[in-house]
Amino acid sequence: MESLNRIISRIRLYIKITHIGELARRYFVQNGMDGSMTALGIILGSWAAKVEEPFVIVMAGLGACLAMGVSGFFGAYITEKAERRRIIKDLEESILSDLNDSLQQSASEFAQTFAALICGLSPALTAIISLIPFIISMFGDLTIWSSYVISTIIAFSELFALGLFLGHVARERMLTYGLQMVVAGMIIAFILLAIGGYGSI
Amino acid sequence: MNSRRKPSKVQHSIKRVVLDVLKLRDPPLPEFASTLCSLPNVEDVKVSLVEIDQNTESVKVTIEGRNIDLDNVQKLMKNHGAVIHSIDEVVVQKESSINP
Repeated sequence: MESLNRIISRIRLYIKITHIGELARRYFVQNGMDGSMTALGIILGSWAAKVEEPFVIVMAGLGACLAMGVSGFFGAYITEKAERRRIIKDLEESILSDLNDSLQQSASEFAQTFAALICGLSPALTAIISLIPFIISMFGDLTIWSSYVISTIIAFSELFALGLFLGHVARERMLTYGLQMVVAGMIIAFILLAIGGYGSI
Repeated sequence: MNSRRKPSKVQHSIKRVVLDVLKLRDPPLPEFASTLCSLPNVEDVKVSLVEIDQNTESVKVTIEGRNIDLDNVQKLMKNHGAVIHSIDEVVVQKESSINP
């Protein structure tokens, strides 16, 4: 228990030193929104194309989750690594000494991995959560059309929740931020529903 | 019976030292001072801010204890992004131990 407390204290110190907390919040919301919007696009696009096989939607969704996860992880890792190396070099110039094996070096390495995990996991998780009704539908416990409705509600709920979180971060009206995120999702919904309606003529 | 006592060996130990240190702004002063205080034989640490700029802080570090190891202090500071510019004050005390 003591070693766990020590690990948590160390992580808190690393986050404090690197100021990665602020960046992580941004990455979480941006990438989470990417995941939800991508899932919403797949769900509504499949509806417009009148896909009745949940397996098709799940596989398309999982493919997108994997792509977003891997892209997010590696993209953030490499980018953050380059930025952190630059920061360490600037700090070394400031104190005219190297920072090999220092607290700052360890904190920097932690920040790279932390940012990469946030950027990789947040879009993948939000997308997978939206697809859960279709996964259930694959086992016959839910009809395809119910899955469409529930998944769409889940995707919009995720967007709303992300907006509430942003409102909390900004210390402003959470509801306003939540609704703004939902409006962004509605834009996709209207376009795809219009295409779907046009396609059925 | 005349038991002869061997002469006592006189040792000196640092009990207080004041250092002029240049440190990075992170970790902040409270964490920096706490880390120094975790060293063996260190009982009190005082860190005063002298000057500050974008990346660094010049601080006056006062360490008190018994038999302070300056090499350990320097190593720990380096591991935390700090360098000792100068030793401004040292208080050394005599410790005699009687040989058996």
